[in-house]
Amino acid sequence: MNDATKKRSIAPVFWLLFGAGGMLSALFGPALILLTGVMLPRGWGVPERFGDYAHVLGFARNPIGKLVILAVIALFFWHGAERLFLTLKDMRAGPLPLLRLATYGVAAVVSLVTLTLLLEIGF
Amino acid sequence: MSERRPFHRKQPRTWWAQSPYVAYTVRELSGVAVALYGAILLAGLVCLARGPDAFARYRQIVASEASLLIHLLLFVAVVWHVVTWFQTMPKTIPKLILHGRPVPQARLTAASLVFAAVCSVALLAVVVVVGACS
Repeated sequence: MNDATKKRSIAPVFWLLFGAGGMLSALFGPALILLTGVMLPRGWGVPERFGDYAHVLGFARNPIGKLVILAVIALFFWHGAERLFLTLKDMRAGPLPLLRLATYGVAAVVSLVTLTLLLEIGF
Repeated sequence: MSERRPFHRKQPRTWWAQSPYVAYTVRELSGVAVALYGAILLAGLVCLARGPDAFARYRQIVASEASLLIHLLLFVAVVWHVVTWFQTMPKTIPKLILHGRPVPQARLTAASLVFAAVCSVALLAVVVVVGACS
């Protein structure tokens, strides 16, 4: 094993998830917030039934819908986790393993929970 | 005599709340707002998996005034995330050369922001058009 292999770090994985979440939220985040937080609940610009149980369940049962939901929730959390971790690290808010658990750990659990729920909902 | 005694400038613990670092802090925390919005969606997914009654309660909460205020605050934070994301992006990618000249970073930022706005508006337009046609 040479020096280059020894020094290999897992950081690029987190960096990639952070970048993917950052780009997805930068391109569609504002529209998603307006859609699910303002328009759908109030029936502004869209039929109110689009937000009801049957329609949302139909979206979550569609394989592409599942992929969209998983990508949005998991990547958004990985993005926030990376930023919160680096900020708390710079603030010297606590020991690094604890900060990692509170940020990357939460994102990992959320990703697994989202995947499990999507499978539980069925196809 | 030969002992090394480097000068350490004192850094207050609240440096991140002071100028000019507060701009950095706000930028980073605007990224955390993205995750907070993800948490709202996750809550919806949990309620959806639990059944129609739980999802009806979720809809009731999301339709409240407090929820509207939270979403508007998140919207402002995420728009700031979008702006700072594309201000940072040109510094993280290799220099883009067009016609033998490097493209100025400000122009890359402006072009990306226009593209992001088009993406968001297009998504809303698709949903509104599908809603109107159905």
